[in-house]
Amino acid sequence: MSTLYSETILDHYIHPRNWGRLSSPDIVADSDDPSCGDQVHLEIALSPDGRVAQVAFEGEGCMISMASASLFTERLQGMRVEELEALTEEDVLGWMDVPIPPNRRRCALSPLVALRAGLAAYRRGGEPKAPAQKG
Amino acid sequence: MLDVERIRADFPALSRTVHGHPLVFLDSAASSQKPLPVLEAMERLYREYYANVHRGIYAFSEEATLAYESARDRVASFINAPVREGVIFTRNTTEAINLVAYTWGRANIRSGDRILLTEMEHHSNLIPWQLLAQEKEAQLLYLPITDDGLLRMDRLDSLLDERVKLVAVTMMSNVLGTINPVREIVGKAHEVGAVVLVDAAQAVPHMPVDVQDLDCDFLAFSGHKMCGPTGIGVLYGKEVLLERMPPFLGGGNMIHRVEWESATWNRLPWKFEAGTPAFVEGVGLGAAVDYLTGIGMEAIAAHERELTAYALERLSALPGLRVIGPPAHQRGGVLAFTFRGIHPHDVAHLLDREGIAVRAGHHCAQPLHRRLGLTATVRASFYLYNTTEEVDRLVQALEQLGNTLGQ
Repeated sequence: MSTLYSETILDHYIHPRNWGRLSSPDIVADSDDPSCGDQVHLEIALSPDGRVAQVAFEGEGCMISMASASLFTERLQGMRVEELEALTEEDVLGWMDVPIPPNRRRCALSPLVALRAGLAAYRRGGEPKAPAQKG
Repeated sequence: MLDVERIRADFPALSRTVHGHPLVFLDSAASSQKPLPVLEAMERLYREYYANVHRGIYAFSEEATLAYESARDRVASFINAPVREGVIFTRNTTEAINLVAYTWGRANIRSGDRILLTEMEHHSNLIPWQLLAQEKEAQLLYLPITDDGLLRMDRLDSLLDERVKLVAVTMMSNVLGTINPVREIVGKAHEVGAVVLVDAAQAVPHMPVDVQDLDCDFLAFSGHKMCGPTGIGVLYGKEVLLERMPPFLGGGNMIHRVEWESATWNRLPWKFEAGTPAFVEGVGLGAAVDYLTGIGMEAIAAHERELTAYALERLSALPGLRVIGPPAHQRGGVLAFTFRGIHPHDVAHLLDREGIAVRAGHHCAQPLHRRLGLTATVRASFYLYNTTEEVDRLVQALEQLGNTLGQ
């Protein structure tokens, strides 16, 4: 019924990928938009060589924000922390298979807002932990 | 009965199609569409006699001043203000309320004083008082609402005492649609000596409002919600209060005599209108008042009541649709709802694809939504140009949406 709500967006919204929490995440990220209620909680576990090994998310929000977060968990796999930090808004919007109109960009970008906050906290907490310390 | 077809012909924007569908505009509570007489009055001023108002000793300036000040007279008579001096032109409702908070509020509110609001206030009738209360160490109190979105009038007496210096209340909620018993609130507030400000942004465009009948001390509304342009709003105030208030913004026009170190102020209403005013917009608002008066505010209110009752009945029949707020006879033409757990932004977006314009979000009332246990709602709102066929289009589109996405 709409060009915006593509099959991909509907599919990821109805069947979110990697839903849940990780046992020992290295990066924990939250975004909370009081204006629309979109909440995204993102967890990332890194492999010993510093690449994204596991991603999980939970959240509540509109179809676009939830589909974007679900797509996110697939796309981040295997990335280095530096690559995560280099992600741009255009990268994230490019993962959706339809153009997102300006007034819904904020929804699509809420996982990125979460990720950036999580990365900043992770950097403040020091370099990636050595595997031995992860327990 | 309104001749809605004829009215619709006055609004050029309503004949547009959106995404291949005839436009159904259901967002007039945010801002209304504009009829030709308003557009023409403003264009005529720009084309034929544009010059800055006040003190211009030549024909154009005199004509523009006359048009602007005559708009003030018509606004005064529209709300039955006793004198034109009580009608201050502002930018909008928000600026009108801030004017009172910054001038009357800062001169009269002291530490320990109380300001009584209600749980259904728009942020514009909340934040100015929060700022004032923080600055003055005053206390904000809230008259609670029922789960149906009606004011708990049974709690009013226990909240009102001589510590309450100001009551600020909306005449009609922009979310719940509730029409509040303002006259009764004013009466009780005056008994304890409190001043009353009425946020009439949703009321003045949609129903007859008589400030002398209400006996309110201040009343604020916006031009753009009542067929007028943006950038022009009104603060009505009782002359005796306005006279005693310090000025708001300083600058040209609001002064009488200026010395190096001090100045005296212009007479009302200009004491509160510093700088070049939005006089073209003021003339547009005057034309909007003429337009609405020509149709009749009673007739407009009756049309909206009928439309609201019809929409409430049809929407409530949809499975999984919950309308917020009171029954039809206690509300105006604003229907906020949730639908089958679908996020309001998705509902609004998908309705837009069908050519239907509604608003989604917290409608500048976050505390109210939290009080109702909601983050956001979809809001359809009506005006004189809306029809039952448009309500049917909304219901059909929601049915279709529910079938596609309903969980």
